[in-house]
Amino acid sequence: MLKCSELVERSDALLAGELSWRQRMSFRMHLFMCRHCRRYVKQLERLLRAIPGMHGKANEAEVEQVMRRIREDDQEQHRH
Amino acid sequence: MSAIASNSTGGVAVAQLQALQAGDDAAFRELVRDHHRALTAVANSIVGQSDAEEVVQIAWIKAHQNMGRFEGRASLRTWLTRIVINESKMWLRKYKRERSLQVDIDSPQPLADRFSSGGHWSKPPAAWHNDTPDDLLMVSELADCLDHLLGDMPDQQRSLLEMRDAGGMPFDEICNELTISASNARVLLHRARSQLFKLVDHYQETGEC
Repeated sequence: MLKCSELVERSDALLAGELSWRQRMSFRMHLFMCRHCRRYVKQLERLLRAIPGMHGKANEAEVEQVMRRIREDDQEQHRH
Repeated sequence: MSAIASNSTGGVAVAQLQALQAGDDAAFRELVRDHHRALTAVANSIVGQSDAEEVVQIAWIKAHQNMGRFEGRASLRTWLTRIVINESKMWLRKYKRERSLQVDIDSPQPLADRFSSGGHWSKPPAAWHNDTPDDLLMVSELADCLDHLLGDMPDQQRSLLEMRDAGGMPFDEICNELTISASNARVLLHRARSQLFKLVDHYQETGEC
């Protein structure tokens, strides 16, 4: 029987679809009986969905700085 | 995965992708707005904070020049992340800066103190109450703690988190880039995620970080 700490260690592999059929069955059996681990896996999935947006959006000054450099580079290319 | 990294165009509608490839200025500004900070975080984890801004500026110029070559096989975020990694590596070569990433395979698993010696939860996760998953880490009260946590994270852990979970890069490609074995990479990524999990869990339980 899988321990909670082992399930947590392997949950990344579960969510990445990297576990064998046998390992997935062992996971499912554990999750069926353990509400703490069910909560952990559900919340880990939420966390992973949140990570791509964790740095937030750039402000107008940052966007303008990037665009200014692109314009300068364009002008430089045209000169040559 | 959020819309940013999950669909084939990186959360950008087909019409917007067409606008981007037609050279539409407003569409490119939107792209910069959505991805600039995440890309700066990737560069930061490779070249360090003082050079990250400049490397990302150069990467944006390259992305702008090559927008027409984006084929939609990866998400836009992943495509941009690859450009940033290439530019970061060129930057390190150009300025002959040796930057050895800290290897931290021996540090304890961040969630280890949440289990009893028998491997059962001694302090189970709190129930998280945010309704919208994409906002989970965007709570203003968490901003400083998140910055500190990422700033203190060993380089390889942070690179893995930024490239894999924020950038959507394939795992094998990251192991190549970081010259790290897949088994070590999995351990380090798990530690990075566990630290974030702990941060959010503590905030959700106490309202503080």
